[in-house]
Amino acid sequence: MSQANLSNSTEIAAHDQILHFPKGGKPNLAPNEWLIWNGSQDEGGLPDLEHGKQNVLVPFAWWAQHYQESDIQSKTKAGHIGVWFAADDDILKHAELIEEGKKIWPLVAAHFPIFRDGRSFSTAALLRDRFQWTGEVRAIGDVLIDQLLQGARVGFDSFALRPDQKTDVALKQFDLFSVTTQNSWRDKRATLSKLSV
Amino acid sequence: MYKYDHIDQTLVDQRVAQFRDQVARRLDGSLAEEEFRPLRLQNGLYHQRHAYMLRVAIPYGLFNSNQLRAMALIAKKYDRGYGHFTTRQNIQYNWVTLEDTPDILAELAKVEMHAIQTSGNCIRNITSDAFAGVAGDEYVDPRPICELLRQWSTLHPEFAHLPRKFKFAINGAKEDRTILLCHDVGIELKKNTNGELIADIYAGGGMGRTPILGSLIKTGLPWQLLPSYLTALLRVYNRFGRRDNLYKARIKILVKALSPEEFARQVEGEWLFNKDSDVNFTQAEWDRVAKHFTKPAYLSLAKLSDQQVINTASEAERASFARWLERNVKPHQVPGYASVILSLKPHGSVAPGDATTAQMLAIADLADQYSFGELRATHEQNLVLADVEQSKLHELWQEAKKQKVALPNIGLLTDIIACPGGDFCSLANAKSLPIAKAIQERFDDLDYLFDLGDISLNISGCINSCGHHHVGNIGVLGVDKDGEEWYQITLGGEQGNDAAIGKVIGPSFYADEIPDVITNVINTYVNHRNEDESFIDAYRRIGVAPFKEAAYKNAKKKEKAEIAGDAS
Repeated sequence: MSQANLSNSTEIAAHDQILHFPKGGKPNLAPNEWLIWNGSQDEGGLPDLEHGKQNVLVPFAWWAQHYQESDIQSKTKAGHIGVWFAADDDILKHAELIEEGKKIWPLVAAHFPIFRDGRSFSTAALLRDRFQWTGEVRAIGDVLIDQLLQGARVGFDSFALRPDQKTDVALKQFDLFSVTTQNSWRDKRATLSKLSV
Repeated sequence: MYKYDHIDQTLVDQRVAQFRDQVARRLDGSLAEEEFRPLRLQNGLYHQRHAYMLRVAIPYGLFNSNQLRAMALIAKKYDRGYGHFTTRQNIQYNWVTLEDTPDILAELAKVEMHAIQTSGNCIRNITSDAFAGVAGDEYVDPRPICELLRQWSTLHPEFAHLPRKFKFAINGAKEDRTILLCHDVGIELKKNTNGELIADIYAGGGMGRTPILGSLIKTGLPWQLLPSYLTALLRVYNRFGRRDNLYKARIKILVKALSPEEFARQVEGEWLFNKDSDVNFTQAEWDRVAKHFTKPAYLSLAKLSDQQVINTASEAERASFARWLERNVKPHQVPGYASVILSLKPHGSVAPGDATTAQMLAIADLADQYSFGELRATHEQNLVLADVEQSKLHELWQEAKKQKVALPNIGLLTDIIACPGGDFCSLANAKSLPIAKAIQERFDDLDYLFDLGDISLNISGCINSCGHHHVGNIGVLGVDKDGEEWYQITLGGEQGNDAAIGKVIGPSFYADEIPDVITNVINTYVNHRNEDESFIDAYRRIGVAPFKEAAYKNAKKKEKAEIAGDAS
């Protein structure tokens, strides 16, 4: 579990907009309804959900400690709490917790502490392949335009881009390739479809 | 050789467009250098000491004459008229500009080439036996697997930002010519008793700062399951490889920390969940790819004896022609054919592995004329014409001599493997090329080199060991001490089936001492060797002590001289 990492990721930016790219759909921008809480103000519990935000993504490590609290359970069931996985969370070690969470989480996210740390690509792939999670998986943290394509293919379908990124350039990324040479969450490799022709 | 279908071509063309956009964003300032860096590296573009360097992929070292002509013309148009063949079977250009790079990639795409994943923390260009498909000792032609894995690894989304670079080598011959055990993953292809293609997997090998030979972690893996197994392996590495310390981020450190057994167990655990998935290869995919690696239109020829081949030369030429045959010509699977190594190590050369535009164009013609238009790059930085009729060897030799690529020094002391070193590389602590040149100048006598026989001498300009110094019988490593360039000597390294990591013999030397040190080491071998005993065998028999003593003989003298000088 990633207590050490939490203290390092105290700066998770606020987002006005989220880039959604639903499987089988088209990329689009939508207002962000989720506060990403880094768990650092643990003493006060969940942050105050003001400023128009109704919902909060809590660190998975925090979830593991607090999920049995009735307040947390009821807020989660009402659709107001989701979890985010730190890059060094070993999600396979917490399979039971995740299986339980799957029933109630409206959203999960995986964090990129820096854009060139690819661990969350594997986290997303495991959430889709192993846990068969069909809900939204959001990429958060140091999410840059040039990671979108890879993220979309491993299993992310929403992206909280770093605030300095240009959304018009971002929206175009998903059209760059019409073929692939390995299977992904979104589609099978192009060679297979060609072979069946 | 493999020919792109519309999927491969589309992918490469779209990759050029993607990179063109990334370069444009870098140039207009909307993409910061720090963020552009991994993107350009995944397209083979380094920023070197003096300029940008572009490393172009030659998948498993195989290419054709048209591709070589394109490489030659790129060298002329965008660089300084030469290219450098590397120990990873790639070619690199040392003097390109950022602005030109998208155009270079577009020109490469026209001849089914690219620079994808030749650098960066991703799965690198896959290497294999330069004699794949023709080697006399081959039991499985590795090329279809190489190509299938090239496709599988190309722009793999999950493994685009691994903890560090990741290198595959694939071998299917009795003799390992790939340094299989010095790779993050080595795949040894075999046939089982039912004649089915299987693979043994070695993991956690590598050179660099912490040289380690790979460990066998899986045997008898059916070839179809390679993608699921390798996905599991890379997933374990991606999740648990160290990211806190650049020098401890390679998979070898993870395998060592966990133990090969525990690493294998974790991979196996992960693999259970996807081993039956459609990520795996199918027979249809094999058939699609393997048809490109069928045998060329060999003629039905009689096998010529060595003497018959020698007799195709005039009497005056026979001695030197025989030498070339002995060192640069290798046996072939098909009667009447041979494989020829063109030496890119002429004595006094600028850099081992360099070829000029004129040479590349001429060699492309030789490939067309003598070898079905195909070529291979070796990890020793030479080129191979794999399918030459024995009766035409003499004619080819004469042509190769005109291009200065016929020096019969393959496998000899002057067939030096060297990285570009401090003359080009911004990572280097010391120069490599002047050391290589000085050694070649010292050992310029071909008769003597022949008498010494097989000796590998590898030079790296820094601990990253692109010159593979760890596996040289004699290794030279450039090190920096207080801003000065020094050179450390290792002995006893070996590639091939008895792969071994060389041992450091002691304190390092000044650059100008190296030719003397090498001479002393070689003299020690000559003085101690039994009849027909190779350098490495002699070293293993008598141990490091006599070599070490000889190596430091002059250093001591020098020290004394300096002391004497001080006193006067």
